[in-house]
Amino acid sequence: MKNIFKKIVVLCVALLFAQNLAADEQSNLKNRFLDKINEVILIVEDKRLSKDDRNRSIVKALTPMFDFELMAKLSLGNAWRELKKENQERFIELYVERMKQSYSAKIDAYEDEKVEVKKIEQPQKNRIALTTDLVGKSEKLEIVYKYHKPSSKQADKDEWLVYDVEILGVSILKTDRAQFKEFLQTKSIYELMDALVKQS
Amino acid sequence: MAFVFTFVVTLSGCSSKTLEKPSEVAVVEQESDDFNGELEGFSDEFEDKEVYDPFSGYNRAMTTFNDGMYEYALKPVANGYNYVMHVEVRESVKNFFNNLYFPMRFVNNVLQGKFSYAAEETGRFVINTTVGILGLFDPAKVHFNLEVHNEDFGQTLGFYGVGSGPHIVLPLFGPSNLRDLIGMYPDALLSPLDYTERSYWTLTDTWPEYLGAKTVEKVNYISLNMDRYEKMRGDAVDLYPYFRDVYEQYRNKQIEE
Repeated sequence: MKNIFKKIVVLCVALLFAQNLAADEQSNLKNRFLDKINEVILIVEDKRLSKDDRNRSIVKALTPMFDFELMAKLSLGNAWRELKKENQERFIELYVERMKQSYSAKIDAYEDEKVEVKKIEQPQKNRIALTTDLVGKSEKLEIVYKYHKPSSKQADKDEWLVYDVEILGVSILKTDRAQFKEFLQTKSIYELMDALVKQS
Repeated sequence: MAFVFTFVVTLSGCSSKTLEKPSEVAVVEQESDDFNGELEGFSDEFEDKEVYDPFSGYNRAMTTFNDGMYEYALKPVANGYNYVMHVEVRESVKNFFNNLYFPMRFVNNVLQGKFSYAAEETGRFVINTTVGILGLFDPAKVHFNLEVHNEDFGQTLGFYGVGSGPHIVLPLFGPSNLRDLIGMYPDALLSPLDYTERSYWTLTDTWPEYLGAKTVEKVNYISLNMDRYEKMRGDAVDLYPYFRDVYEQYRNKQIEE
């Protein structure tokens, strides 16, 4: 009897320890995120860089944080599986390029805004949502960064990767899914890829 | 005693853990699956809903029309306006209109039981109308830290569970849906900008006055947010479904809050 009791205690302590690990995981992620933001702000404020150099440095600094490939796949929904291998590769390439362009365009509008982490949630073991406020002069913009933890870590990537960004409740990925789906109802994947080329 | 306490804490930790077990197992299974399994893990989050869109033909045409209006009418006018009016004047114009819509925000906050927000809005109205000279300035936010709480009747309907209904793109106003369109009527009754004779005081009484005031408001808004629309449009492959989705997601978020 005593033995069983001991086992339960050991098990519970081990599980409590696991929960602490989860909390650590969250604060590590938060710190890593804030470090990244500071890194980006330093680049933005570096007046010696030309606009193109600046944007390139920012994209380079942020790339390890995002799972662009997964975003590209998810953005197509069911249509992804029907693509031929070479089209899949081409699509990922174009989608990633477009993401980078779109991000650079948004950075251009940056004006002394501050980023504050408001909330951190872990709905599943391998998912974390980081809710932040982009605080500007006259208004606040709520941005949620959604992270997932891939089963195996890629060499040039972080352990936790952003797969979706929600700005004021509008998910980039959901919006892309909706517009790609409707586009593909009347047009082909080749036309979609052409449209992506035009955007970036 | 301390031991008992830690035991209870760990026990509660235990029970929540055991509850989570099945889902964890499921996740692990999905992860160990092949490449498609990786995407499967996201299927709950990104399920494809069929969009009920009976007016899509009209909506598409209206989206194109609105985009053209923006590009060839509103934007050039706003550019000129930008040039003539100093940014602080434009901020004041925006504040003035925002202050006018206080009754709408107040009533809709109350209708949704958000009494502290309604009180905050009242404080804003009193301060900004007096100290802020008829709402031209916003001392309530700057000095008293009172925030705006935008609520309209469309959100109130959504709050009580009314679905959005089909999407409808309005001329010049842009994306909307049946619920929000219906909501515009009670909101109009609470607005001092109006096109009919009312038994109570309103700022405008005829159609020309109303349209004039609304145009100033719209041009002023665009002049303050020049690149916002263009940045958003830049991410669109297909303008209509893109804006439809952005609007519906944004409204759902506003209703949730």
